Amino acid sequence: MTEQISDQISAFIDDELSDEERGFLLRRFERDADARNRAARYTMIGAALRDELVGPDHSILRRRIAVALTGTAPPAQQRPAARLQWRYWRPAVGVGIAATVAVAAVLGLRAVNVAHVGAQGGAATQSAPLQARTGNGGGGEPPPSYVVPREVSDAPIVAAPAVRLTNYVMHHSEYASSLGRLPVRSNVVGAAELLPPPDPAPAKHEPKGE
Amino acid sequence: MLRRSLLGQPVLLVTLAFAASASGQEARTWLDKMNRAVEELNYQGTFVHVLEGNAETLRIIHRRDGGASSERIESLDGAGREIIRHGNQVQCILPDRRVVLLENPKDVSPLVSALPSYSDEIEPHYALNLHATARVANRAAQILEIKPRDAFRYGYMLWLDQETAMPLKSQLIDDQGAIVEQILFTSIDLHTPIPPQSIEPTIDTAGFTTLRPPESSQLAAEIPWHAAKGPGGFKLSVAQQSQIAGSEYPVEHLVYSDGLATVSVFIEDPHTKSEVSEGFSKMGSTNAFSLTLRGRKVTAVGEVPRQTVRTIASSLVAE
Repeated sequence: MTEQISDQISAFIDDELSDEERGFLLRRFERDADARNRAARYTMIGAALRDELVGPDHSILRRRIAVALTGTAPPAQQRPAARLQWRYWRPAVGVGIAATVAVAAVLGLRAVNVAHVGAQGGAATQSAPLQARTGNGGGGEPPPSYVVPREVSDAPIVAAPAVRLTNYVMHHSEYASSLGRLPVRSNVVGAAELLPPPDPAPAKHEPKGE
Repeated sequence: MLRRSLLGQPVLLVTLAFAASASGQEARTWLDKMNRAVEELNYQGTFVHVLEGNAETLRIIHRRDGGASSERIESLDGAGREIIRHGNQVQCILPDRRVVLLENPKDVSPLVSALPSYSDEIEPHYALNLHATARVANRAAQILEIKPRDAFRYGYMLWLDQETAMPLKSQLIDDQGAIVEQILFTSIDLHTPIPPQSIEPTIDTAGFTTLRPPESSQLAAEIPWHAAKGPGGFKLSVAQQSQIAGSEYPVEHLVYSDGLATVSVFIEDPHTKSEVSEGFSKMGSTNAFSLTLRGRKVTAVGEVPRQTVRTIASSLVAE
């Protein structure tokens, strides 16, 4: 499955294809089970991330297909603000677009989280103070830290050889807690490693005040 | 009236303190139950892994048979990688690189996770809070917040299955409150018997390069390295020489844990032709930092913020 087809499926679900592209994709669905499964998966994931998933629901996909088959205009509805950036949308394919989608998706998720947590009594994690700790850590006192955490956000991320780092992370996952093991292994399986650091965002040319 | 109010305050404070303690105890009980569920239940499900705006679908099949666990995790998108674990044998198939990594760590996770790990020792470093219930993957879930008390570790929001405590959804949260990573089951089948063949690899690895650890090396019993100073709460839990797939010489391996988060430090043999670049690197939410100390390449890896791997790696000293 090419990146182009995967991208088209995402666009199809979001109702962003032209009539011609929709027709092409429907013909593809007829003969390509992998494409059909992928469309179903993307629909489910989108619903899950929007906290709508309480059971299998492919109504969006059914609606898109019905519209494409009958030519009926889609019912008026709010278009999603941004699609998630799927793994196959590598930065090489339109860095600018991908970065925009990624930022929008992260912001969207953060907004969902804040709203969700806020509804449960303000459980959002607060910023931890960046300073040395003293005391014994009991009675609500902050725990002892022997060193002061330093901000490292400006330090560059370098790319290490993939196999060696994969090796270390794989080995490490065997010692991770049950909380950390699945995410660490998902990182290995997801092949999300060692992407070169994103190019620094081009400086915005803000209009200067008069 | 005033006297009654003043007399009532200590009672109120004691009551509140007791309630907080009870809540912390209940939260730890949920964590312990989760610990057992992840390792001891039979389950299969599809989950979404969301990281930095990327979403990927993965499938996990976990089988428990006679006290031994086996597991297969496969990517349904992208490169289609698989990890298969049978007891201590771990196989990672990377079709995108036509490579198979074989690992056979000693003292591995089934033993580690079988131990009661969520003691009250974590509470100086994390605040535990139970919140309301919700529904995830069509199941009722208890929400548990794990909030770090400093910037050396991440926080978690967990949605634990009310029946089994299986984590149906988890969020890794940084010190600014932003979600670093999210795992969300879209469907999960618990308790179903899993046939052994479900754990077998689905990828034909004919023609792939297999990297396996050497078998004949004698491993040292004692490791002369340790972190002279580190973030509070991270204690040395494992110190051993390990064989790493694809490496001719064994590496010295230290594991530091605060009860929830773990950091591994790998110290390469001086004869190893070092391949790891110095500085920061990352694999998803797993951060790594490498530097050279006394002619040895040191790499710290963990599901912790970047400053934590750097602090631990940089503080390493040889006895």
